[in-house]
Amino acid sequence: MKFTFDWLRQFVDVNITPQELADRLTMAGLEVDAVEEIFAGLGKVKVAEILSVSPHPDADRLVVCQVSVGEEKVQIVCGAPNARAGLFTALALPGAVLPSGMTIKKSKIRGQVSQGMLCSEKDVGISDSHSGIMELTWLHESGADLAQVLQLKDTVIEVDLTPNRPDCASVMGIGRETAAFCGTSLTPPVTAQDIPRLTGENLEFSVTVEHGDCPRYAARLLKNVKIGPSPWWLKKRLLSVGQRPINNVVDVTNFVMLEYGQPLHAFDFKKLRGGAIVVRRARAGETLTTLDNAQRTLDPDMLMICDAERPVAVAGVMGGANSEVDENTTEVLLESACFAPVSVRRTARRLNLATEASYRFERGVDPQLPPIAMERAVRLLCQVAGAEVIADGVDYAAGVKDNEPIKLRVNRTNDLLGYAFKAEEITGMLAAIEIGVKQLSDDTLLVTPPSFRVDLEREIDLIEEVARLKGYNEFPQTMPLVPMSAAWQDQARKLRQDICAAMTALGFYEAINYSFVNPRHLDMLGLAEDDARKRTVQLLNPLAEDQSVLRSMLLPGLLDNVRRNVSYQVADIRLFEIGKCFVPGPGLEQPEESTYLTAVLSGRRLPGAPLLHTGEEKCDIYDVKGVIETLLAGLGFPGIDFDIAREAVEPYCESDTFARVAVQGKALGCFGRIATKVLTDFGIKPDVYFLNLHLDALLAATKNTKQFAQLPKFPSVKWDIAVVVPEQVRVGEMVESILHSGIALIEQVELFDVFRGGAISKGMKSVAIKVTYRSAEQTLDDETVVREHQKIIDILLTRFNGQLREV
Amino acid sequence: MEEELLRLQKEACRDLAALNDLKDLEPFRVQYLGRKSEFTGLMRKLGQAAAEERPRLGKLANDIKVDLENRFAAKKTGLEDAVHAETIITSTVDLTMPGRTFPLGKLHPVTQIMEEICAIFEGMGFGVAEGPDVETDFYNFEALNIPKHHPARDMHDTFYINESLLLRTHTSPMQARIMENRQPPLRMIAPGKVYRCDSDITHTPMFHQVEGFLVDRKVSFADLRGVLGVFIARMFDERTAIRARPSFFPFTEPSAEIDIACVICRGKGCRVCKQTGWLEILGAGMIDPEVFKQVGYDPEEYSGFAFGLGVERIAMLKYGINDIRLYYENDLRFLSQF
Repeated sequence: MKFTFDWLRQFVDVNITPQELADRLTMAGLEVDAVEEIFAGLGKVKVAEILSVSPHPDADRLVVCQVSVGEEKVQIVCGAPNARAGLFTALALPGAVLPSGMTIKKSKIRGQVSQGMLCSEKDVGISDSHSGIMELTWLHESGADLAQVLQLKDTVIEVDLTPNRPDCASVMGIGRETAAFCGTSLTPPVTAQDIPRLTGENLEFSVTVEHGDCPRYAARLLKNVKIGPSPWWLKKRLLSVGQRPINNVVDVTNFVMLEYGQPLHAFDFKKLRGGAIVVRRARAGETLTTLDNAQRTLDPDMLMICDAERPVAVAGVMGGANSEVDENTTEVLLESACFAPVSVRRTARRLNLATEASYRFERGVDPQLPPIAMERAVRLLCQVAGAEVIADGVDYAAGVKDNEPIKLRVNRTNDLLGYAFKAEEITGMLAAIEIGVKQLSDDTLLVTPPSFRVDLEREIDLIEEVARLKGYNEFPQTMPLVPMSAAWQDQARKLRQDICAAMTALGFYEAINYSFVNPRHLDMLGLAEDDARKRTVQLLNPLAEDQSVLRSMLLPGLLDNVRRNVSYQVADIRLFEIGKCFVPGPGLEQPEESTYLTAVLSGRRLPGAPLLHTGEEKCDIYDVKGVIETLLAGLGFPGIDFDIAREAVEPYCESDTFARVAVQGKALGCFGRIATKVLTDFGIKPDVYFLNLHLDALLAATKNTKQFAQLPKFPSVKWDIAVVVPEQVRVGEMVESILHSGIALIEQVELFDVFRGGAISKGMKSVAIKVTYRSAEQTLDDETVVREHQKIIDILLTRFNGQLREV
Repeated sequence: MEEELLRLQKEACRDLAALNDLKDLEPFRVQYLGRKSEFTGLMRKLGQAAAEERPRLGKLANDIKVDLENRFAAKKTGLEDAVHAETIITSTVDLTMPGRTFPLGKLHPVTQIMEEICAIFEGMGFGVAEGPDVETDFYNFEALNIPKHHPARDMHDTFYINESLLLRTHTSPMQARIMENRQPPLRMIAPGKVYRCDSDITHTPMFHQVEGFLVDRKVSFADLRGVLGVFIARMFDERTAIRARPSFFPFTEPSAEIDIACVICRGKGCRVCKQTGWLEILGAGMIDPEVFKQVGYDPEEYSGFAFGLGVERIAMLKYGINDIRLYYENDLRFLSQF
């Protein structure tokens, strides 16, 4: 909602500056978005008189004008057809900044000096007219500022209105608030006292309201209307708030809407068949071409303004082309009505048509306003369009209900606001914005909201009004007295926090990607058509195709992050994300939301570590496996299994570098290396490893209970074994076989080397293992260790077809 | 006696001067200054000298001893310095070389700020709960006093899944979800992702909010101001000026926007605060009686306040981030700065 300072001052004595006004409005809940001086760049645009015009020696279409600006004489080259001696016009001198952004400079045009520019109305931003330079025919003196002569200087204030304050969508509404905090009063040009009595009898036209969604409908007929451009003062008002003047009739309706907040509509009366106005629902199959030249198909629940035969306007939204005022119009039927907010909103939404009128009706227009705004418009039309008004008219008001008085309790107000108001103070504050109050008792006030405050329906609405009028910052700051209680602990959140701490300690940065993703990513991962993750939750109204489904996996987003980082030459990457994945629910039910941890690794093993010490060593599959092991062990989850079966490999992984992870026998996730083809599709060159864990599954797993174990009293003995085994043997199984050999003295089994080549024959590998023995009862002697160690050697040789290698 | 003392001094000085290896220091000390040295022997014999000679000889012996000890200490320091200097010249240790650093990751700035916000409220006894991202029209709107065809729906550019499901446009649905299952007194915050179909330099279609509310008997607007005042003092600094101004949310009344003095220009007016000197930081208000009725609380018995914070905005202000889109590009050059 825009208004200008000058416009406001016509009706209110504003004793503060525009900036102060803006601040006060903001603090009154009418947030000011912008305060802008208009036509500020026109300071160097002056009224000038053309003294003489001579042809340009080197250009057919240009003339050279000698121009006087006050005492000064300057030469201007001009191309306008209406440049002539004796014309008073507008001259932009060097330094002027025109609304188009153009800065005027002294120049030479085809060899002739031009000390400025003669301006059209379009050049100075007051109309679209560019057929010639301005004709200031009523002036007889040059040198004055154009902005001053045309009274252009003004300040536009834009208010970001909240939906509860439609009463302020007008100069009058802003004026009422302004008068309250300035301590002055509002003087509208037309008030309820000025309205003539309208009987609706013996008229050339009829108004029939068939539906309750139109509580009020006022109409009057004007004859001998002369359509033409509006006078400058009217155009200026519209221009200053960004509205384009059209003709005097349309301009008056727009002007009164901006001034009073009452949308008006002007019909060409001769186009209304049967001289009738019928307010009714649309009939099946009816259409209407609206003023924006779009043909609209109407639904039976849309409220229409019709003549005897057909719709002529969408009630409260937009007029129809079939009854539009045009240059030949001589008789105007003026509508000033009130329509139910929900009806207008539903219709405007359905037609995808938001207008200044629908904006106001959706939020609620004062039902007492139509005849007042009508009178203002009628007077203006008589003034600017030479119209003659038919004395009587229609004012249908059967649907208007008076506002119910509301009880306001002083104690309740004080309890809710934390203050100690007296009844008198509340009464005084409310009265300042025309809210009537009657005191029933010490505690109870009976408040009757004025008709324009459609938002005041309940006691709480009045309490807010009291707080607003007092000023929010006048209330104390206190701490609530609430009984002490133990705060709710969310275990899932705690687990996430623990994982975040561990992952960052492991060198990973946290990523956050959008929850909506590109469905094509799932194809790029090569997921089968029947893969459950391809059943995604789809948005009805996505911003773009690549944000059209809710994610069923976190991996694609992170791969996209890898691509982006690599493209910015950050190739050593450890990123993780904890986020929700979505599985559609049955029917219209909510999707299932599960939380996952996904991490990606690429580039050097230790990102950011000095090259000097660590070289270019790249991360590999054991890094990602190690992350899972460290993370789960660190968080205290026992019973982690890796299933390295080469069936059921995710389609986006290299088949030999993939494993599933289970915790305590329950599936938890997987890790692996992303297949080269998938990386290519994502635009990534370097290898990428990933892990994916289902955190809801992890949350369901049992943690180690923290339990102290006695520290060993006796020393351990460490012995090494090196065995040459066939390549197919899994070293993990060798370690497991030792751990499960039943030898009680084994404390730890550790692989320390896997070696191929050299003296080792092809197809074989040497596996070196360090075994730690310890007894809880005594220091071990060699004999015992030799005996136990031999058992292990036997197991390895027989079970894995190995040969002992001399170390 | 005197000649012997002077001879010993001369010999010791000669030997000390010739000494140029740290390992020869100790034998020298034993020879000349040790308990069994000739000098110590002479000192013991001082008692046999004539009584009138004794003070003079005693002083002489002592002077010589102090002199030798000083010379010895100086020699020792000299030799040690020489060795030190030698070590420095020949050493291969170069401490200008970098240490073996370990990579240490960081949480996303949004998470960091969100945790900071949660911690402040947890410190005031608020519990933390989270809700679904895909919300029903009922919880997102109807339960919050935003019926269908209410113009307040224009304030929420909503992503829809179907006629009854949508991506939550705010974390406020958690008010209704928690209140309908529990009884006052209640103190809760609900952090999470929210969605609006809006994307430009100041809006991303997904962002984060922290919702909070407190319900009990006799909770007032002054309490709201108090609690949020404490929050802002902790989040920014104690001297941060605050102002509240009237606003409109269908689920609170009175409703307020809370502004803080611009953290960039300290209230003088700059580009970030659009010359107003103030920055909008959160929306709040007293919970509307309609919301209480929806969850079966008696609005005559209970009152409460609710507030909602935009996490990205606070992070932008605290860290000076000037483009909201950077948050979701996950550029490591960005993530590593916080």
